[in-house]
Amino acid sequence: MGRVAVVGAGMTRFVRRAQETGKELAWEAAREALASCELALDRVDAVCLTSAPDAFDGVHMKGEYLSDGAGAFGKPFIRTYVGGGSGVFTAIQAYSTVASGMADVVLAVAEEKMSSTQPHPQGAFLTIFDNLLERPLGPNLLWIFALEMNRYMHAYGLDKRDIAQVAVKNRRNAADHPAALLGDADITVEDVLASETLAWPVQRLDVSPISDGAVALVVASEEAAKDITEAPVWIQGVGWNLDTAYWTNRDLVFPEYVANAARSAYAMAGVTEPRKQIHIAEPYDPFDYKELHHLEGLLLFDKGKAPEAVRDGVLNRDGDLPSCPSGGLLGVGNPIAAAGLMKVAELFWQLRGEAGARQVPGTPERGVAQAWGDLMQVGTVVVMGRDGGPMRTASAPPTPPRATPGRSLSEAEFRGAVGAVEDALGAEYAWDAGVGIGRFLDGLEAGEIFGRACRRCERVLVPPRMFCERCFRATDGWVQVEGTGVVETFSICHVRWDMQPLDQPEIPAVIAIDGSDGGFLHKLGEVAAEDVSIGMAVEAVWRPEEERTGSILDIEYFRPRMAGTSETAPPQGEAT
Amino acid sequence: MIEKIARPDEVRRIDGDLPIRHRYTPGLAGEAFFIALRDLGVLLGSRCQACEYTYVPARSFCERCFAELSPDVEVGPGGQLVSFTIAFVDADGDPLETPETFGLVRLDGADAVMLHRVLDPPDEGPLEVGERVEVVVKPDAERTGSILDIEGFRVVEE
Repeated sequence: MGRVAVVGAGMTRFVRRAQETGKELAWEAAREALASCELALDRVDAVCLTSAPDAFDGVHMKGEYLSDGAGAFGKPFIRTYVGGGSGVFTAIQAYSTVASGMADVVLAVAEEKMSSTQPHPQGAFLTIFDNLLERPLGPNLLWIFALEMNRYMHAYGLDKRDIAQVAVKNRRNAADHPAALLGDADITVEDVLASETLAWPVQRLDVSPISDGAVALVVASEEAAKDITEAPVWIQGVGWNLDTAYWTNRDLVFPEYVANAARSAYAMAGVTEPRKQIHIAEPYDPFDYKELHHLEGLLLFDKGKAPEAVRDGVLNRDGDLPSCPSGGLLGVGNPIAAAGLMKVAELFWQLRGEAGARQVPGTPERGVAQAWGDLMQVGTVVVMGRDGGPMRTASAPPTPPRATPGRSLSEAEFRGAVGAVEDALGAEYAWDAGVGIGRFLDGLEAGEIFGRACRRCERVLVPPRMFCERCFRATDGWVQVEGTGVVETFSICHVRWDMQPLDQPEIPAVIAIDGSDGGFLHKLGEVAAEDVSIGMAVEAVWRPEEERTGSILDIEYFRPRMAGTSETAPPQGEAT
Repeated sequence: MIEKIARPDEVRRIDGDLPIRHRYTPGLAGEAFFIALRDLGVLLGSRCQACEYTYVPARSFCERCFAELSPDVEVGPGGQLVSFTIAFVDADGDPLETPETFGLVRLDGADAVMLHRVLDPPDEGPLEVGERVEVVVKPDAERTGSILDIEGFRVVEE
């Protein structure tokens, strides 16, 4: 199998609301990528495209809709989609398409136009929560991240200041990126810590903004690459890996799925000591803590040690391991799929010495780009390097983007655009509970909590599942557990999913139900926010029997366990 | 063994939706098309000289060769009916009071075809593929910058 290289890259500006359609954004980025290596569209053999949920652009079969802007007319075309991990994954897809021998030159294109979604793109994401067990709680997508961030901070006793330093570094780096939405050379940690609290510990400036934009790469076989450029950047290794679909059951402290993906990519690339052999990192940073989380998952820092690295300047552009020299999602912007591919493009520009004011010093040989997505459970990783080839500092073209005819629309222009149309899909669903959850809801109506036991894995699963995703056997039987547990992590959420303020903050929590394995999402009540702590013992507060409907809301909330009831009841064993 | 539920009406279900709507803006070429339609009552296309192909409505780029295009070619108002369908039911499958005819038309000067209503199909015999049609645009005062500023295509006598 021959080597595969990136030989060209292009991107649009990332903006809040692009004047361009999604097709026009894709075309601008793809045309720019081709121009950067002086190729015409007819040299492209196949097109790999990615874009996050169809619901963002509001176009069903969005990949096919975008195909003309991606240069796919009359060509083999494939859209892959792994949520937030999509951008890096489409580079992997392009790699595979070339490495398989099916194409010599592939365009990899990533586009997102999130501004179409009203009132907030989060609405399109609500169904990633379990429709029966989680969505009735009125979740905000931020819960998942806030709960993970709190657990990560708790596990290592981290200071929010160290985490906020990531947001500062990236927004400062982005001040040197001509395509950036949120570059700010003067931002300070105090600015981040003073920003609005959305879902504690997540504050406004800990988060990357919703954006529109597109990025494209030209990926070529070894023979074609050498014909196209004197300075190809080789894709040395790729990897991806999924964690369990049950997000409350994951290790919220260490992203093992990222580590698994990184191990695959490093093995392919011959990287045995990542910290020494990787010179630039572009970890996925939709939230500041995620960059640290992912640097640890990428095996570049020991567990819990990435925060020290950002505090000590190791991750700065002139540090020992520059991380997100582009400015990342926090600084450049977060048009979901495009943001991931932007990271791969950044490695390309950095390793060729073409990153202009963002250029890391020295002669970096190798970099790693990573993204994260699906149901917050996929890690996608690409390792790229020059294989000893030259940087092209002397003949470096201008830093991207060279051409973006469009511009960001103001609110008034967005509302007043001639020809604009507003529409609601109007899709309504009726989700079946299925076998396991149906029985679970029957139990809640009766004031009982049932799980299923997997004897081989020695786990009790609450809520119950009829099969065990680890050993892939049918689970073995019903187990009744008590309505008591321990707070694994919690958040104090101040906004609804559409980012409108809540009258009263809510306290979502992942609760480990006594006698079961893995967490359970619910809310806490009868407790002041400042009195909640990780490890706190809690108990279910049931709705009056006559008000129960067989819903997760038959448990109103969990409250701190009262004195005198702290005995943990053992599971009652097999029930009928 | 997985337990089977014998009575489907006993299955627990929960109703829900995707609580979003979308605002579609027309983009670079699209906005030029709608402004020309609203203000001048004309249909703008884009011609790719290299591919010898004229798109309508106007586009920003040629999907065949990736060249940048300008929305600067006026097409129509005459054209030829490429195909048509007569709808007797609406999107939900319910009968329409009056059947509606929709046609694909290649406007004079264009290569791409356009979809719109066919107005008042002729009484004296069935509509035929290949017939000459022309665009009917709403009066100046009624145009807002919408595809519905076009009333539809009307069959014309040759």
